[in-house]
Amino acid sequence: MRKVLAIITLVIILLIPTFLFDGIMPSIGDPNSAPNTHVSDYYIENSVEMTNSPNMVTGILADFRGFDTMFETTVMFLAGLGAVLILSNRPNIKKRFIIPRNYIKQRPNIGAPRYKTINKDVMITLFEPLMMIYAAYVYFHGEISLGGGFQAGAVLGLAYIIDVMIVPGRRKKLFALDKGNALSIGGIGTFIYALTGILTMTGGGLCLEYDKLPFGLSHAESHSAGILMIELGVTICVMATIITILNAIMGRVRFDDDPIKRREDA
Amino acid sequence: MTSLETFLAAKGIYFLTFLLLFLGLYGMITCGNYMKKLICMNIMQVAVIFIFLCLAQKDGGTIPVLFSNLRNAEDYINPLPHALMLTAIVVSMGTTGVGLALLTRIKEKYGSIEEDEIIERENK
Repeated sequence: MRKVLAIITLVIILLIPTFLFDGIMPSIGDPNSAPNTHVSDYYIENSVEMTNSPNMVTGILADFRGFDTMFETTVMFLAGLGAVLILSNRPNIKKRFIIPRNYIKQRPNIGAPRYKTINKDVMITLFEPLMMIYAAYVYFHGEISLGGGFQAGAVLGLAYIIDVMIVPGRRKKLFALDKGNALSIGGIGTFIYALTGILTMTGGGLCLEYDKLPFGLSHAESHSAGILMIELGVTICVMATIITILNAIMGRVRFDDDPIKRREDA
Repeated sequence: MTSLETFLAAKGIYFLTFLLLFLGLYGMITCGNYMKKLICMNIMQVAVIFIFLCLAQKDGGTIPVLFSNLRNAEDYINPLPHALMLTAIVVSMGTTGVGLALLTRIKEKYGSIEEDEIIERENK
């Protein structure tokens, strides 16, 4: 069955060039092709004046399509919530398929992981603050140059993942978030985003219409402030979601060569 | 330039991105290990992102960050697919996380994430 499917997939791959000859897909680099005209020209010509963000991608993401990004952030938070909920309950042990002990013994014993090449504690101590400074730079430069909330959150989450790799007991972790705290911080990030929309509505505008922020700012200032606020929400939400998923999986996963957890099953 | 070179310059990158897309699809169909299936799904998502970024390319255009001496729409590449794909990357990370959580549950229940072993234990 698998071989048949493999052959069908290979035939489809070989048929791709025939689709390309017909002009279904536009040529690369054609300024007059359908995706590069119409609304994108309007975005390029007007986004800097309208959003006060020299980076047009951030201008589109946070201002023109701010409502889209709000629910994108919510999807991210819901992914973390889903991972926690999937792994929250203990399954019925009687229904579980227990592997015989000799089956585990037959497998090659990998043993405890050993990192002989680098001194991990020193390198991580060196890397982590730099990564966090870089994340702050990426966040604050999201509207001026390349960067943004999603990337800053990913870098911060990566800093936490590297922090988890420290051998326990050698030194204190830089910051520790347990499962519930990380999830609530993700909710706070999503709330900051929604709060920006509510603030613009209290100022008398539509949701995420930054001109109506009730701080008495000028057009340019209010747009910058609004974009920074929602980017802060996105950063916190993405960072917390990464930490949530990592915590949920690490708290539940059971390795075959893990001696402590195996004793619980026996 | 010959006609083949013109064709490859205009459409050649599509072949590579579609190859990546179907490579992921092929892996999702044929792999027996669920972890490998998840990795192949990630490869497919990366291929979709590449296709959208190919569509955003413009000859003679620079990155969509404002330069004071460039004002025309032809001078910048299309920022809209970049903004859309930024969110797609994040969603792919979310699906990967939920997929890993499901894999953890499968491993707990069946003691394996190999498809053959799971079917064997389910039919026992």
